[in-house]
Amino acid sequence: MLEAINLSKTYTSDGVDFQALKDVDIRIDDGDCLAIIGKSGSGKSTLMHLLACLDAPTAGNILVDGTDTSLLSEKKKNNLRNEKFGFVFQQFFLNGRDTVFENVVLPMRIRGISGSELSKAADEAISAVGLKDKRNKKAKDLSGGEKQRVCIARALVGKPQVIFADEPTGNLDSATGAAVEDMLFGLNRDKGITLVIVTHDPDLAQRCKRSVEMKDGQIVAGGAV
Amino acid sequence: MKFWDLIRTANRNLFRNKLRTSLTVLAIFVGSFTLTLTNGIGDGLHTYVENQVKNIEGTSVVFVQKKFDIPDEGKPADAPTEYKEEVKDETGALIDPDSMSFTVPQIEAAFKDVADIKTVTPGFRISGEYITLDGNKKYDVNLATLSDGITQKTETGKTIDGANQVVIPLGLARALDEKIQNLVGKQVWVGYKDTEQNLKTVKLEIVGVATKGFMTNTGTFLDSQTARAIYEDQTRGKTDAGKFSRFTVQLASGDEKSYEDIKKKLDEKGFEATTFADQRKRTYDAIGIFKIGMSLVALIALLAASFGIINTLVIAVLERTKEIGLQKALGMGRGRVFLIFSLESILIGFWGALLGIVGGMLIGTIANQYLIRVYSSSFEGYTLFVFTLPSLAIVMGLVCTIAFFAGVLPAFRASRLNPIEALRYE
Repeated sequence: MLEAINLSKTYTSDGVDFQALKDVDIRIDDGDCLAIIGKSGSGKSTLMHLLACLDAPTAGNILVDGTDTSLLSEKKKNNLRNEKFGFVFQQFFLNGRDTVFENVVLPMRIRGISGSELSKAADEAISAVGLKDKRNKKAKDLSGGEKQRVCIARALVGKPQVIFADEPTGNLDSATGAAVEDMLFGLNRDKGITLVIVTHDPDLAQRCKRSVEMKDGQIVAGGAV
Repeated sequence: MKFWDLIRTANRNLFRNKLRTSLTVLAIFVGSFTLTLTNGIGDGLHTYVENQVKNIEGTSVVFVQKKFDIPDEGKPADAPTEYKEEVKDETGALIDPDSMSFTVPQIEAAFKDVADIKTVTPGFRISGEYITLDGNKKYDVNLATLSDGITQKTETGKTIDGANQVVIPLGLARALDEKIQNLVGKQVWVGYKDTEQNLKTVKLEIVGVATKGFMTNTGTFLDSQTARAIYEDQTRGKTDAGKFSRFTVQLASGDEKSYEDIKKKLDEKGFEATTFADQRKRTYDAIGIFKIGMSLVALIALLAASFGIINTLVIAVLERTKEIGLQKALGMGRGRVFLIFSLESILIGFWGALLGIVGGMLIGTIANQYLIRVYSSSFEGYTLFVFTLPSLAIVMGLVCTIAFFAGVLPAFRASRLNPIEALRYE
């Protein structure tokens, strides 16, 4: 369960403060499927980064399964992200020279897992996204939809509780985009993985169980449970 | 990540840009190659000198001579010399403060209260006319004394251990008999002239043929009793008979620790004492300084190459900003990021050093082969390049250390990247 209490984030550049997030409260239960929608600059990405412990809030608290993350050391936060969270980004951030397999196992390698445990987890994740026959292909030789499926496999391989997806279909045409969406919702439905999708696409948000709309750093619709 | 995974990752990252990495490795190679060769020359010299001096050995032996007065520097030419009164030593004999020569009893007296001594062999100045095996064929001879307490390595036979014995050099032995083993136990006659220019001979037994070395290449070594007899014949009636400037003192016990104490006490009495170890250390120190001097050139090359490493890694960090951002987002710690880039840096050094060492050994070995053909007669036993494991390990260690330090700045920059900003980086 993720919980944000009175979350604020202020960026300072060249002495000018910019408040990206203002007193946001939100609760995301296990197995939830939430869309965070809003125009660019509305603070939706900032909210996701804070929820995913990629950044620290200026004020307020984030609780992950009841633990206040502001009390955790950098190392503990790294481990938390590695073990409980998975990430899918608009840009794929794949290493084109490496194989599908090598790209998928990155979180496991960071966790310090090797040998048969590593390949078992990787094969499971690669099969789950239907890329079994492309396992040893170089990532750069894949199509856009396949690349995003590799990213989903990479998010999935560590058996996370939550997958954060930042504009997961932004770089894909509508047909492949829909397939990737189906895959993500399938994970939520079948494996009970919590899904947090950041998007500006209202159609995608419609398909989620619930959605919150952000504007000027505040939740204007949907809101706290 | 497991350590082996890290090294594999680092190596794979490194050779993503093959040309750039290869060029950086090449720069390190040049430095390592030079360092390998300069170390090889130094070790070659060291080994050669070692082979030449180790033929004469002696434990519990010290060489004694009068301490040299250090001349006052910058003293005007017309400055008067201070008068020093003659002093009496323990035996009651007068010691001229300006004389460098002493008698054996004076040296023995100097050792009183310092150390128990077994024998004192003065540096006899003797000269021979010829050496002959059968009386017909005579060879010029260069006589030397083997002081008591000193042993000589021999090709065949043994070192001198009694009176009327002689050890002859290898060249002479080969002239006397093709099979040098046959000479051991045979009698030779050594001719010399006394003070009245009368030719005298002394009959000696060949006990051994000396192994080659700086002194043993030409000298025919006599036992100290024979040397003393010849010396007395050659100095009879002369005013400075029985006075010597250099002595070999055999101590009753050869405790290494006591040497320092003996040296200090003798120093107070105006004598300078040195051991075999001291003499060798001086030579090896000189070789060491020579080696360092040559290595400086290689070190400058390595220093220049290390800027290549910095450059390569700074660019690599920029190129891989997004990748680093992703890795950090997925939970990789700062330390690990630093470690990956440091390892890449060290690996550049490692590959460069490996190539440099292999290349240096290859060229050195070829050069050695060539030199053996060209200079074999005049430099027997000298190998220009000698490659020893410790020296090669030092080259490898040094280069990897320099490479590590070159990588610190880029690795630190990579480790400090903010994952969100890194992922947004265009």
